[in-house]
Amino acid sequence: MGKGGKSDGSNVEEENMAAWLVAINTLKIQPFNLPPLGPHDVKVRMKAVGICGSDVHYLKTLRCADFIVKEPMVIGHECAGVIEEVGSEVKDLVAGDRVALEPGISCWRCTHCKQGRYNLCPDMKFFATPPVHGSLANQVVHPADLCFKLPDNVSLEEGAMCEPLSVGVHACRRADIGPETNVLVMGAGPIGLVTMLAARAFGAPRIVIVDVEDSRLSVAKELAADEIIKVSTNIQDVDEEVGLIQKAMGGGVDVSFDCAGFNKTMTTALTATRPGGKVCLVGMGHHEMTVPLTPAAAREVDVVGIFRYKNTWPLCLEFLRSGKIDVKPLITHRFGFSQKEVEEAFETSARGGNAIKVMFNL
Amino acid sequence: METKFKNNTIYYHRNPTSGTSMEINSEAKWKRPNDVKVQIKALGICGSDVDHFKPMVIGHECAGIIKDIGSNVKSLAVGDRVALEPGISCQTCNFRKNGTYNLCRKMKFFGSPPTNGSLANQVVHPANLVFKLPDSMSLEEGAMCEPLSVGVHACRRAGVNPDTRVLIFGAGPIGLVTMLAARAFGAPRIVTADVDHYRLSIAKDLDADDTVQASTNIQDVGEEVLNIHKVMGESVDISFDCVGFDKTMSTALTATRAGGKVCLVGLGQSQMTIPLVAAAAREVDVIGIFRYRNTWPLCIELLRTGKIDVKPLITHRYKFTQEDVEKAFETSANGGNAIKVMFNL
Repeated sequence: MGKGGKSDGSNVEEENMAAWLVAINTLKIQPFNLPPLGPHDVKVRMKAVGICGSDVHYLKTLRCADFIVKEPMVIGHECAGVIEEVGSEVKDLVAGDRVALEPGISCWRCTHCKQGRYNLCPDMKFFATPPVHGSLANQVVHPADLCFKLPDNVSLEEGAMCEPLSVGVHACRRADIGPETNVLVMGAGPIGLVTMLAARAFGAPRIVIVDVEDSRLSVAKELAADEIIKVSTNIQDVDEEVGLIQKAMGGGVDVSFDCAGFNKTMTTALTATRPGGKVCLVGMGHHEMTVPLTPAAAREVDVVGIFRYKNTWPLCLEFLRSGKIDVKPLITHRFGFSQKEVEEAFETSARGGNAIKVMFNL
Repeated sequence: METKFKNNTIYYHRNPTSGTSMEINSEAKWKRPNDVKVQIKALGICGSDVDHFKPMVIGHECAGIIKDIGSNVKSLAVGDRVALEPGISCQTCNFRKNGTYNLCRKMKFFGSPPTNGSLANQVVHPANLVFKLPDSMSLEEGAMCEPLSVGVHACRRAGVNPDTRVLIFGAGPIGLVTMLAARAFGAPRIVTADVDHYRLSIAKDLDADDTVQASTNIQDVGEEVLNIHKVMGESVDISFDCVGFDKTMSTALTATRAGGKVCLVGLGQSQMTIPLVAAAAREVDVIGIFRYRNTWPLCIELLRTGKIDVKPLITHRYKFTQEDVEKAFETSANGGNAIKVMFNL
């Protein structure tokens, strides 16, 4: 934890510490110097930070897709905390406010930003996507417009969960989920589960979820999936599984979410979805895929891509406030912010299995 | 001496390389009071016409003159010159009810087994699928409404408009009608890519802003994408793959900007190995196309006003005789400088 420093206004300031990715499989808690507070920024004391699969991927390989960690980098991006200080131009937030943070700072000047698709901004500065430092730290400095005040009945941990939940919400928007869309979710990991929760909140009348692991399927059932189906990793099983899925769905599959992103899951999704339906590719298993795209395209099954999210925090917070979505069951493991616990936490997350969301409490 | 067909001759296709004809002395049979009987006058050959193996009547890109009308038909008269939309969907399925009737599972489509096609002297067809041609439009242009409809439907689904810079893979008949449709929908810049130099020159004549010579080699994707971006000048908003192979789809997915669309029109290969996640992670969406829906009125209007001129696409013409039919299919199957082969009956 931070050393020294009482909050009595004395000159000795607490040193800000963070979890740094310094080498493959090596995280170290070290000092983290914050930039000066700009007029539109706030300083936030981190209270809850979740671990994402991408954080684990960086830890194990120092890369994720085309992003490569070349220098030590603070890890973590799913976070919420308490405001300690606000910049001179900040009007809507005050010290003491509990906030959830949207990680990515876009340029606001390019065509993508101006058209509202700021998640596609080529100059995006995103927590823990190299070379931008993350937020598993005592404190961070962040633009005020990317900090969202939590309703009184939403905890800081739920605030941190807004980040993964945003992926599900963005996917449901892009795929146009509503009271008429029967939904198939491939994968019952954290992303499959938040997608399922979001689909229900958007009104999906029937949700079938598939996975290879029993423990994950039982969590999905507890979270109110209409049907769960155990599937294999074997591409030969596609036709049989498509039959099971269509039978379980009853009516046709209107929208499939591939939250795994492998040949098998995408092939199943493309085959199982009805003509004129959509397959939303959320998961990023393999960059290149071998799939029956033409037969799907020739049934006007469209493939919708997903990259992170845009304009999702207000909706996520409203879903959590009203209870339309309950993310608390997804938080399966909790750790404190010490060297030993940071290492253990990442090991737990990397193991998968019955660990869904691993959360730090700072 | 030519064997001229009389009465209601229909053409049976026995196998891809040779066919046979059969004369039927009875007239085409009436079905319902909402049908019309059409004397076929112009019919184009489609790539899909050369693929069937069972004996059946082929052909579906057609136009003709009304010979008789059913008792309920009010909007058409004997002598009207009309273009025909080939596919009869069922009246009751959800696809029909929500307007996506091209996806109807019980679709009866000219020349798609087991439904006979329209390379015949006469066919009987529902009046609501038969569209009157303006006087200024030829019957051949009427027949061209069918392939043009594929391009129009693709441009609608992909959202082509004055803001969208378009890249088209393939300068065959489908790539070319897609290009013509894209221009009519207002695309400000259109670049066409093909492996065939001759087809690229046709595209250029038909008003492509620029062309790119491509290879069939998957290793060349990176280089071709750079070239495409250079030639386009700015980003590619929408790509149409009118070929449908790993190479063209991989290039399309890589060349299209984040948030853009790739429209898969061509039916080249079934399984594809493509950088799909890489594209999806830039929110490049893939739009599928199956035939068309509600396109004839728009096609006719675009042809009537001259916004689209399909006449240059008709490169070869044949009569409805045994010898000519065989030659026509051979010409079409050979590709090369044959774009649209048209029968005049």
